Amino acid sequence: MANFDTLSAAAIAAGVKAGDFSATEVARAALDAIEARDGEVQAFLQTSAELALEAAAATDAARAAGEELGPLAGVPMAYKDNMHLVGTRTTCASKMLYNYESTFTATCVQRTLDAGATPVGKANMDEFAFGSSTESSAFHPTCNPWDTTRVPGGSSGGSAAAVASGEVPLSLGSDTGGSIRQPASFCGVVGMKPTYGAVSRYGVVAFGSSLDQVGPFGRSVTDVALAMNALVAGGRDHLDSTSQEVPANFLDGLEDSVEGMRVGIISALMEHEAVTDEVRKGLEAARAALEAQGVEVVEVELPNMTSAIAAYYVIGPSEAFSNLARFDGVRFGYQEPNCTTLAEQTALSRAHGFGAEAKRRQMLGAYLLAAGVYDKYYYPAQQVRTLITDDYRRAFECCDAILLPTSPTSAFHFGEISDPTQMYASDLFTISNNIAGNGGVSVPVGLGSTSGMPIAAQLQGPAFKDHTLLRMARALERSIEEAGLAKPGTVAPAFAGKGGEL
Amino acid sequence: MALTREDVRGIADYARIALTEEELDEMTTYMNEAVEMLQPIREYDLEGVEPTFHPIGDLSNVMAGDTPNAHGRSLDIDVALSNAGASQGRTFRVPSILGDEGGDR
Repeated sequence: MANFDTLSAAAIAAGVKAGDFSATEVARAALDAIEARDGEVQAFLQTSAELALEAAAATDAARAAGEELGPLAGVPMAYKDNMHLVGTRTTCASKMLYNYESTFTATCVQRTLDAGATPVGKANMDEFAFGSSTESSAFHPTCNPWDTTRVPGGSSGGSAAAVASGEVPLSLGSDTGGSIRQPASFCGVVGMKPTYGAVSRYGVVAFGSSLDQVGPFGRSVTDVALAMNALVAGGRDHLDSTSQEVPANFLDGLEDSVEGMRVGIISALMEHEAVTDEVRKGLEAARAALEAQGVEVVEVELPNMTSAIAAYYVIGPSEAFSNLARFDGVRFGYQEPNCTTLAEQTALSRAHGFGAEAKRRQMLGAYLLAAGVYDKYYYPAQQVRTLITDDYRRAFECCDAILLPTSPTSAFHFGEISDPTQMYASDLFTISNNIAGNGGVSVPVGLGSTSGMPIAAQLQGPAFKDHTLLRMARALERSIEEAGLAKPGTVAPAFAGKGGEL
Repeated sequence: MALTREDVRGIADYARIALTEEELDEMTTYMNEAVEMLQPIREYDLEGVEPTFHPIGDLSNVMAGDTPNAHGRSLDIDVALSNAGASQGRTFRVPSILGDEGGDR
């Protein structure tokens, strides 16, 4: 038959249900593709062949017994390594957790397994999700499948690269300031940050608790919608107090016309000095593609968006400092040997377990929460958060979604951005979404005229209107394909067909 | 006013991260650059603006009965201890919390 990387997640699930191939054959093809491709891509921190084959065998047995199969039946999936999955380590790409064995399974992971998915491994990331390039992983970098001298973005870089290189059709990532959407953009795949509260975070190692959200990567909007259904189908998760009831209807009406719907653009943002010409051209193509689908383009304003990075780098590090205080070397995590006092053990375990960026973020958070400093930054940042949220509310009074770049540039080279605060600025267009909590999705719109690397458009929608947002994303994807600019479902050319025959 | 190396040493002590002298130099530079980046927050007139601490406004704490394993999510003791650097019997093992100088901070 064909190589498994030509199949969408939806096609795999349909093929397994129809008996065209077994879940076990698909699992073997995925493990074979990883074997052939991951030497160059390095998307995985750990593969879980045994778990994969067990899950696939269970799917095949269920089919043989005449049971109804789930919507992700036999679909190989990768999980960002901050998600617990019993039978794997959960390292957060940190020396702190290098040997930490998952003691339970995260709800988001479990729900994909309940839907029939085959877990093939844990994906690389920036350490504790602090970063935009996956370069801060304590173990190894991940390469962009479109050009292995470039980064895949981050922090969910492994999850994006695994999908882009055809190792898996679907993966999960987490997004605190753009960590799903930006790597999706860099790797030429679709990545969605759902509305805050749509997907349970139980069992996902916390970074910024008022910002973190889990979401899927796929090679098409349809596959992302399929994964979203699985993630919300179990209803509200009582193990995560932020979890909300969301209908699992993301595939319903996905192909419907968007004629007469409105998309907002912010002209001033496109003039930002950080935006490269090729990204500007990509966004012009996206706008034209939506107009070709009958979407009306209106001008909107998000006047406080330029302060979003400042607000984020108050809120994010403060919450991270609080969350990462649990890594004291006692119950889990790296423990410094031969210490005579607990205080010494704590300070040295944290000094030697955490990498440079994890230390920086926690130091910044510790400072911002200190008495006398809190009133100058933390409290005002939460007030600015109100202003940003109000901006969105006003903007969505006159449009169904906002169109903007995902990232100001395409994927950069390893080592190209070495200054931490310069790296922070690359989250310019994604971060305000996390601050307000509404959903966003990154959709490939073609290759850059200068770099030859994938360029993406981002659509942001109102809170809990992720269904409409995906419908708009699908219209954009369809129109971009009709214009011959990008073909959904395709793998980065250098890796297509390498291992993974089905 | 810029943060000094001694300020940063104090923050590291509070954050319980034992930084080396070399790391302290780098961290001081970083902290000052990062704080500079946050200045837009201080330039707002925020009189009368309510803060938003959380995207979902009406969350409340989840309470549970004071009974063992009320939500069925408690770990078995051997599982809970399995990732610990040091344990003894049913407990995590830690060095002296008082130490030679007679007190933890």
